[in-house]
Amino acid sequence: MLEMDTLAFIQSKFSEYYVEEAENIDAPASIEQREFGFILFKEKIMIRHKGFKRFEDFVSFLKQTAPAHVYYSTAYYQTPEERMENKGWLGADLYFDIDADHIHTACGKIHDRWTCKGCGFAGRGMAPDQCPICNNRSFEEKIWPCEVCLESAKLEAVKLLDILTEECGLSPEEVKVSFSGHRGYHVQVEDESLRSLESVAHKEIVDYVTGTGLDPLFHGFEVSGLKRRRFTAGPKMDDFGWRGRVARGIRDFLASATEEDLKSLGLNKKAIDEIIKSKEGILKSWERGGPWKILKGINFEQWTAIIKRAVESQSVKIDTVVTTDIHRLIRMPKTLHGGTGLLKVSFPTDDIEEFDPLKDPVAFKKGEATIYVEEAPKFRLGDEEFGPFKNESVELPMAAAIFLLCKGAAKVIT
Amino acid sequence: MALTRSDLAKYPFTLDAAEFVKLLDLRIENLESDDYKPIVERAEERLRKALSDDWTKAEYSQLLEDVEIPDVEIPSFPLAVMMAAASGNEYIKRRYALFEAKRAYEIIRMEEKLEKILEIARAFDWKVRIVTEKVGGRKFDFALSLRDFLRNTGRFHEKEWKLVNKILLKGEVYLTKHEVSRLLQEEIQRRIERRLNPEFRPSLPESILERVERLKQEYSGKAEKAQLQRYPDSVVNEAFPPCISQMYGAAKSGSHLSHIERFALTSFLLNIGMKPEDVINLFRSSADFNERMTRYQVEHISGERGSRTRYVPPTCETLKTHGVCPVAEGFCGRFRHPLIYYRKKTGRLKSESTSS
Repeated sequence: MLEMDTLAFIQSKFSEYYVEEAENIDAPASIEQREFGFILFKEKIMIRHKGFKRFEDFVSFLKQTAPAHVYYSTAYYQTPEERMENKGWLGADLYFDIDADHIHTACGKIHDRWTCKGCGFAGRGMAPDQCPICNNRSFEEKIWPCEVCLESAKLEAVKLLDILTEECGLSPEEVKVSFSGHRGYHVQVEDESLRSLESVAHKEIVDYVTGTGLDPLFHGFEVSGLKRRRFTAGPKMDDFGWRGRVARGIRDFLASATEEDLKSLGLNKKAIDEIIKSKEGILKSWERGGPWKILKGINFEQWTAIIKRAVESQSVKIDTVVTTDIHRLIRMPKTLHGGTGLLKVSFPTDDIEEFDPLKDPVAFKKGEATIYVEEAPKFRLGDEEFGPFKNESVELPMAAAIFLLCKGAAKVIT
Repeated sequence: MALTRSDLAKYPFTLDAAEFVKLLDLRIENLESDDYKPIVERAEERLRKALSDDWTKAEYSQLLEDVEIPDVEIPSFPLAVMMAAASGNEYIKRRYALFEAKRAYEIIRMEEKLEKILEIARAFDWKVRIVTEKVGGRKFDFALSLRDFLRNTGRFHEKEWKLVNKILLKGEVYLTKHEVSRLLQEEIQRRIERRLNPEFRPSLPESILERVERLKQEYSGKAEKAQLQRYPDSVVNEAFPPCISQMYGAAKSGSHLSHIERFALTSFLLNIGMKPEDVINLFRSSADFNERMTRYQVEHISGERGSRTRYVPPTCETLKTHGVCPVAEGFCGRFRHPLIYYRKKTGRLKSESTSS
């Protein structure tokens, strides 16, 4: 919980920011049909069902209130200020949320901490399903955006953009990609022809990008035999869509799989030995149609398990609930994230490789502040590195100071 | 390729057919005259066929012969729609829309020329084109826009209809003639259902309304039977599907449930007849239990608050999308919904206990 002085300090900085910059926010399409929501610093509850007829009204609201978080609806409504059931849903943008929280990253989330709400037991990394001490399932979590997490999230965003443009046929102008201001990326599709699609249709798109319900037999795999079925052919690596993805997923998996990996799929010793000893042959086989026939000891069920793993590795890790929810409130681009003091920023899809999520979203570029840091790992913001800090007073550039204050890792010195 | 008059008789739901009817200059108030009798008879016959059980292939080909007299056949359709709407009976309306759509499907898939099907699809503003080249080693007939595909597959559950199992390239889904005919059936059914909403009753002459009333009475038994199936009076825990069983156990032991799990469990229990009070009590052992909040949510889902509609739990497919379904494909048999599983299972448990 942030102390009052710290809170007041952050809010005064947010306020300064909005007084200067609120006009530069891009108004969403059909602003009068959108619902708005805000979380204010003091009240800490979501104020929703707000509507603005004109962009100017929204701007002056921001300047007056300087909220911690600013949201608006993916949905378009006849009367956005009404109660949910009377709003009159007209349509919604297709929206994807990719968050490092949902991705198993190479850093192992070693920078994150969790505390069991039941018994207070604490640990590092991703919170377990159940507390090892008291079996409670809810935790207080402190998460941190590290370079590895951010890079993993970006990779997922790239995979998603690929599917949206190559397969769904959306043009780069219709697809808006943004950094969330914390640990993720958002992708928003404002294409008018998709606007009227209902939740079931959004669900089908979710299943498409995550590979849920994918049946190999529709993707270039061939099977022979009735009683003892076996795969006789499969997709090639340069095939389009899921076919190519599945083939590449299988190649990558088989090329790097350890005995343990194969065991975890439920393969028996004979199958494992065959895969391990034929690695060279498998790699070469991709030039001539794939490894389906050269691995004699792998039966139908075992191949199916390998294919399933390949699909998982190629699936895009999105938050499935966000995309299927056609009434969702989402963070507005060019507004500040109250948990970091960074901006949510949008950029052209082509620029995603060069986008620097620890530099480009920096909002507070002027001045310094001296703060007392309780604990923070080493981190980068802009071109500078800071920390690690432990129970010490430090003078930092404003963006870094605000970042630690917003994260609850520091407080202002009074 | 334009639609001919006999095409319009085959596809009386198209805008071209509506134009044709307009040109005939029929007046509702004259419907009782002898000149119009064949049209009225034919409209009633459409409704009777829709309500009968006999939807066989022979019936459909019979319908094809009927199209020989377009002047009767075409206007009989809008009249039948008005009569179905005037019945005010949900069963008759639903059944009629389904029948006309199925009939159209059977006729469309027999069309030899792809151009003809293209014409019908475009009458519904579909973005669709004929494809001749092979894609991924397979021959297809049409490439349909992603939007039109998704708009018309919402009611399908088979894996071959899932988008993820289709070829999707540059915003188009590749389909066979047979598949496009099936999707058109969905489109037609929705179009007819939309037209059944307005209340035509006041405008229809007395003798037509009498025909509607007769139909209603004749088929009242069937309509009632189709009304909602009932669940046992008390909750039968042994009949819970695996997902609900797991969530129920977790809630009871105070374990954490995700938002969607809470929603699925709560709406399931309310739908099978558990009292809101008992559902609230179920969540009491949770570490972060907040009575006010829980009560608000449970009462909202039960329809006692807010929109006044009782929420239904998500389908099996939705639970799978969100990674909440705990079992492998096929474990629950053909059931597509936790409530259907429960209803069948309670039925089976009951018959087992009475027969032993």
